Amino acid sequence: MDWFNFLTGQKARQSSFVVDYIRRFENKKADSDEPVSRCSFVALDTETTGLEVKRDYIVSYGSVAIRSYAIKVNRARQLYLHPKKESTKEAIKVHEIINAKDTLSLRSFVKLFLGDIGHAVLVGHNIGFDIAMLEKAARPFGLKKIRNHRLDTYDLAVRLELGKHTDYSLINKKDYQLDALCRRYHIPLDDRHTAAGDAFLTAQLFLKLLKIAEKRGITTLGSLLS
Amino acid sequence: MANVIVNRVKEFLKKYPPFSFLSESLLESVASKVELRYYAKEEYLFHAGDSAKKYFFVVKEGAVALTEDQQGKQIPVEYCDEGDVFGVRSLLGRRSYVLDALAREDSLVYAIPVEIFDKVLSENNRVSQYFAAGFASGQIVVKTDLSQAEFTSTRFQEDIEDTGLTIFSGQSDITYSSDVVSCLEHETAEDAAGQMSRANVGSIVVVDKKGFPRGIVTDKDLRNKVVAASQSPGVPVSEIMSSPVLTMTKEDDFATLYLAMIRNRVHHLVLTEDGTDQSSITGIISDHDLLLSQGNSPAVIINTLINSKSIEELRRLRDQADHLLTYYLENEVSMSFVTGIISEINDIIIQKAVELARSRIDPGYPDIRDTECCFLSLGSEGREEQLLRTDLDNALVYEDVADDQKEQADEYFQALAKEVIDLLVSCGFKPCPAKMMASNPRWCQPLSAWKKYFKEWITTPDKKALLHAAIFFDFRPVYGHSTLAEELSRHVHDLIDRHELFLNFFAGNALLNSPPLGFFRNLLVEKSGNQKDKFDIKLRAMMPLVDAARLLILSHGIADLTNTRKRFEKLAEIEPGHAELFTEAARAYDIFMRFRTLEGLRADSSGRYIDPDSLGKIERQLLKNAFYPINEIQKIIRVRFQLDLLGM
Repeated sequence: MDWFNFLTGQKARQSSFVVDYIRRFENKKADSDEPVSRCSFVALDTETTGLEVKRDYIVSYGSVAIRSYAIKVNRARQLYLHPKKESTKEAIKVHEIINAKDTLSLRSFVKLFLGDIGHAVLVGHNIGFDIAMLEKAARPFGLKKIRNHRLDTYDLAVRLELGKHTDYSLINKKDYQLDALCRRYHIPLDDRHTAAGDAFLTAQLFLKLLKIAEKRGITTLGSLLS
Repeated sequence: MANVIVNRVKEFLKKYPPFSFLSESLLESVASKVELRYYAKEEYLFHAGDSAKKYFFVVKEGAVALTEDQQGKQIPVEYCDEGDVFGVRSLLGRRSYVLDALAREDSLVYAIPVEIFDKVLSENNRVSQYFAAGFASGQIVVKTDLSQAEFTSTRFQEDIEDTGLTIFSGQSDITYSSDVVSCLEHETAEDAAGQMSRANVGSIVVVDKKGFPRGIVTDKDLRNKVVAASQSPGVPVSEIMSSPVLTMTKEDDFATLYLAMIRNRVHHLVLTEDGTDQSSITGIISDHDLLLSQGNSPAVIINTLINSKSIEELRRLRDQADHLLTYYLENEVSMSFVTGIISEINDIIIQKAVELARSRIDPGYPDIRDTECCFLSLGSEGREEQLLRTDLDNALVYEDVADDQKEQADEYFQALAKEVIDLLVSCGFKPCPAKMMASNPRWCQPLSAWKKYFKEWITTPDKKALLHAAIFFDFRPVYGHSTLAEELSRHVHDLIDRHELFLNFFAGNALLNSPPLGFFRNLLVEKSGNQKDKFDIKLRAMMPLVDAARLLILSHGIADLTNTRKRFEKLAEIEPGHAELFTEAARAYDIFMRFRTLEGLRADSSGRYIDPDSLGKIERQLLKNAFYPINEIQKIIRVRFQLDLLGM
């Protein structure tokens, strides 16, 4: 019995796709020696109704796979969810999503999303928030924690530019927002504020950072994530 | 729902050929299958000999150099930047790469799976032509067939609105005279002739008291019905006029007007308010005016030129020929036809100018004016390649005269030449800044003097001599006794035969201008912030081919063939082993000439300097391919004329 069930008294039975997802991690050996060139990554981004994990929820999700230093456009995803209630005006303003067609039920979304990420390393800009929102979405289906390794392009950029042991409190956060980083790394700011657009920007940024990391001798997954 | 990421890829690809030829849906299916790869500066994408990957590449951002190993040195063969397609070996069914691909900058590159593109190739004609014509980079083993390239570029163009080559081309600028000379019915033939003479017109409209047209009297009527018929000049015009007069309105189009003239066998039409002879006159138009308005018919221009008597009209006709030229070039009419027509027009103008000049100068020199002479065109005009009215390069040669006539001959021909050049300048040609013109006494000489010049250039080939040789060897008789030119050709041929070393020096001269790989290097330099440079298409692309063709054709003992394309065609015939290369060179030259002329017409300049940024992708690739034969031919010249041994 997990804490969620224990606290709420609800019994969130694990859906079959959650069982499949968890099973993928069971026989997985430690992979910190895995060369970066052979790792699977999924760059992702979510657009939400707001910034409160408790209150808000995911409106759309975009992702694209990266492997062998190549962005796989044939593994690009762009998913929209059934709106639960009226989006807040602010969120609509930012994301310009009003009446998304072809929206998915929460269940279909989680199923697709979990199938997609497999055990790839998840890459995102300020990915903590995205993971929290995704975990919230998956919870009703019996998944309380996303088990994939995760890599924040914010942290990676700071680490490569300022060094591993920099004092985070002294960083000018504005310089490490996605827009600023894209500009600095010459990535055209197309399709901003769509989940897929931001995921694609993040993927391009990640590729460029990865090359720099490679030159610094960061070539294994372990050294990349540490 | 269209995926934002796929869409982004699609939006990029569709800017560049061959993707620009795909339908939206097909392009989307291609875009959804691609990969985006990132290569850091100095990183290799593939090496020569590597087995070909299952995808080919398109540069999204950055720059990739394709290099070839030459004795251990990596020599760049091509530079690829944004939108360039390369590494297509697997698409062409080849197993391995023949070049190295090196990222010259940090580069993002799309990898397009061959699998998906095979389908596209089989379904889309233009895309398969694109690859067949070798537009994609790094295909040096697949010989670029420039003829197909030229053809292909037509197919790739957007449909151009037809500006009308046909004779009945609808409304164009028909010039007619609204200032109509007229007289009343009772006036005499003498009065009418006086009026016509004062107004310098060939016809007069006879009107009634209301001003409505009753008839017309022309030069011909005065000649036939008055003078030749021994009529008294006092006869009333009503007795000699042609009547009724054919009337139309000025709103009628060319076809209506022209057909009316042809059907009624008349040369003049009177334009009236309502198109009948019961309203007042608004203008008069002749068949000559009408045909002139149809400037896009070469036959009309040439015929009018031949019958033209004023220098102003020559100039106007030559201006019209420029419109014709633009139309031909934009519609990719074959260059041999275009150069043929324009050279013919230029030649007629020169002939007309000489005739006009003679009519003015000859009366002063009754003893010397029958001396045989020949007006020679030199340089590009001599090669029948002058499409734009750039510099005049010409010379005059005349038969040797008795010693006591020398001074007078000298004076006469210089006066004549000066007049000719003045007339040609009034026709819009530009005088040669280096004074390589017949009006320069040095280039207006008897045959014996010319023979001496050529002998000097060939026996002491210093820098200046070689420069002169390059210009004067391309002479072509345009007016007068071509036997003089023929004798000069024989003389040159004999001299070269006896002074073989001359060609080695001439070869050194032909290699002064290196092949223009720099064109693409400039594009790269420019990106890294250096000053951007325009590309000199004349110096870097055309002159090397012109010089090579001249050198090689002279080395085969042919001194009377000047046209670069014809020289290459002849060379292909003489040297079957290099036939393909020479044929390509001829086509490449056509392509450069088309580019230069279009640029010149567009910018009203010599067209020499081309801004690489102004070129579309296809045009850049077309140029890039056309550069290829230059390099190859220069290699042949270097070996054949032993330039390395001579230290040149």
